[in-house]
Amino acid sequence: MKPVAITGLGVVSPFGAGVKAFWEGLSSGVCAIRPITLIDTEGFRCRIAAEVPGPIAGSARRSRADRLALAAAREALDDAGVDRGDREDAAVIVGAVGGGMLEAEAWHWRRMRGSTEPVPRPLASSFPSAHADVIGGTLGLTGPRETVVTACSSGAASLAMGADLVGDGVVPVALAGGVDALTRICFMGFNALRLLDAAPCRPFDRDRRGMSIGEGAAFVVLEDPARARARGARVYAELVGYGMTGDAFHVTSPHPEGEGMARAMRIALQGAGVAAASVGYANAHGTATPQNDRIEARAMRDVFGEGGLLVSSTKSMIGHTMAAAGTLEAVATVLALGSELVPPTAQLETPDPEIPFDCVPRVAREATVEFAISNSFGFGGQNVTLLFKRAA
Amino acid sequence: MEPKEVFDELKTILVSRLKFDPRRAVDLTLETALPKGVEDSIGLDSLDFIELSIAIEERFGIAMDESADLAPHFASFDTLSRYIASRTTRA
Amino acid sequence: MGQRVAITGVGVVDERTPDVATWLADESEARRLSRICQLTVAAGRRALADAGLDAHGGLAVMVGTEFGDMVSTISFVDGYLGRGPGGLSALLFPHTVMNTMAATTAIAVSAKGLSLTLSALTVAGELAIARAASAIRAGRVGACLAGGADEPAPLVMSALREAGAAPELRAAGAGFVVLETFDGARERGARILGEIAGAAWRAVPARPHRIGSTASSRAIAAALTEAGASAAEVGRVYTSANGDGPREEWERALVDAALAPHRLTHRSLSVPAGRHSGLAAHSVATAASEGRDKLALVHAVARGGNQVAILVRGPDGSDS
Repeated sequence: MKPVAITGLGVVSPFGAGVKAFWEGLSSGVCAIRPITLIDTEGFRCRIAAEVPGPIAGSARRSRADRLALAAAREALDDAGVDRGDREDAAVIVGAVGGGMLEAEAWHWRRMRGSTEPVPRPLASSFPSAHADVIGGTLGLTGPRETVVTACSSGAASLAMGADLVGDGVVPVALAGGVDALTRICFMGFNALRLLDAAPCRPFDRDRRGMSIGEGAAFVVLEDPARARARGARVYAELVGYGMTGDAFHVTSPHPEGEGMARAMRIALQGAGVAAASVGYANAHGTATPQNDRIEARAMRDVFGEGGLLVSSTKSMIGHTMAAAGTLEAVATVLALGSELVPPTAQLETPDPEIPFDCVPRVAREATVEFAISNSFGFGGQNVTLLFKRAA
Repeated sequence: MEPKEVFDELKTILVSRLKFDPRRAVDLTLETALPKGVEDSIGLDSLDFIELSIAIEERFGIAMDESADLAPHFASFDTLSRYIASRTTRA
Repeated sequence: MGQRVAITGVGVVDERTPDVATWLADESEARRLSRICQLTVAAGRRALADAGLDAHGGLAVMVGTEFGDMVSTISFVDGYLGRGPGGLSALLFPHTVMNTMAATTAIAVSAKGLSLTLSALTVAGELAIARAASAIRAGRVGACLAGGADEPAPLVMSALREAGAAPELRAAGAGFVVLETFDGARERGARILGEIAGAAWRAVPARPHRIGSTASSRAIAAALTEAGASAAEVGRVYTSANGDGPREEWERALVDAALAPHRLTHRSLSVPAGRHSGLAAHSVATAASEGRDKLALVHAVARGGNQVAILVRGPDGSDS
């Protein structure tokens, strides 16, 4: 695969607006999972999540998710210094799942309880495809425009797809990312599936009991490395490989031996011509369900060998941010490479003895790493691994 | 509740929540196995069992103890009916 | 440049298709798959059967959709609204994410390559086919089931009407084409329906969710460049009518401007039956079968400006 340079970052996370707040929270090992305020949680076992602290900047006419997306997109484009000409040709690829459902749900709830209020406008803002149109239409981005939905790996798939367009020479610049605002559907569904821990999640802990949900948005600017250097852009890191595979196994359970996960990691390495032994850090999918962590660790062991690299889960601090997760965690990985500091796994008190890796319990670890991966494994076995290389 | 009554309710749940064809429900007996992979079972997988648990909690007003190993109770209609019946007769 | 993209199979199903159930493997699939997933699985199996292709490790799946499985999503929330937490369905929850059609189809046909779901107003099916063609051309994917699916949910349709949106022509349906590298198709002796000579997708300047004021666009020109062809070589045009008059007028203007001075009749296969994201595959396959010595343009554009152009060549023109 042709490496692509990452020249801009934009984030709105449970730590607040901006990349700076995100990295400060992550590097301090702070947990942003708290009692939910956005929706009514009465009657549910788990009543916590990692919400973006309010208020969210932007017009009140826009959905929460659109505002999160626009803020993160703006920061990334400004950070990369993408000029008007490049914006016209720039691709926009957004990983999304919930779209503006938070507002649509509230309307539906009120309607079912007798309200006669009219349909929220525009209706199109309820769907995940809205964010790309809002970002593209508002920021003047008129290149290829796509919204990818691969459940929990959407925000990682979007980076792979953006890299394709840059690598194929279709666009000079791609704005790729992911966004999800909290929704009742997500909250109720994961509660119903008994996949949530009533306390903040504990990835890789022997006593882990399930996930925590979260929300947020993140975007990165991808461009050809030579072009980036020629215009004097700052390069955070390079995306040098990716693997996208399907388990084709079950709609919610991963393949028990992590076959698709391991394959995604191997393909990412092969595509970049990088040996497994060269990878120093894995930002895991790490949802803290008993199942995921065990199977993901097994897959990593198959690819990297026992103890072959540092592993940590950003979800321990920002929860599972759904479609935003793949991108937020990619940004965390990129920042870890540049800062030479691996963010920790929060709440990790008793590392699971069956997981043969140093999962960086509670405190960030200084480490000079040349290659790092970020894993995102979605419902239905939609596996994505991104491979990053530290900037020279 | 008696196991037989419970069994009749479970058949209703199978149709209303697990989307089984009503004609299929008529043929079921207490001996019919539940989990996928068992010969002549009705082929329920992990997601089906979660749905069934939610439905059982709602219909019978009992709480399924998630920390316990419930697999033996979910082996057949007979084992499940007895388990539910025993939980509903508790004061 | 790159691999040539062969069209080797097509499968389209909708509410008028008899015996969709015969394409489902067993009662378990029928029970666990929502209606839109059943249509998508059936269309996928039909397309693969038409192509004579057994799903193998590397088969990719790309599904475009406007609304996803909104019927299941609404049913899921109504379960809670009616009965509280006890009314939530674990079985319905996975269907509330739009990738459910792609995921269930990948499971049904054992496709273990990458699988993508693209959510877009109006252009989703065409977009999935265009991206699949690009992936094959670039050598990243060897074979792909590409197309789309939709099922109009009554609540969404009535909300559209209530919001004063133009009356929309919608139907439930799913459709795929099977795309492969030309070399791969020839090697296995596949019957070649045609070729995707070029494909491109861009955005026309427009306010979010609105019709743009310009007739100037770039996707058609970009597709022609990829095909190494000029506008004069386009002989037929298939467009994306869905009953939204102003949008259809805009589409006419965009296509005419891009192909000027050549003016062709535009034909939409979604009229009168109703549009769904599976019809893109129908348009591509029809374009291939009706193509003679000229290229056919399969085009779609959405409010908000998302635009897709696919250039299709028939089998006679492609067998060299």
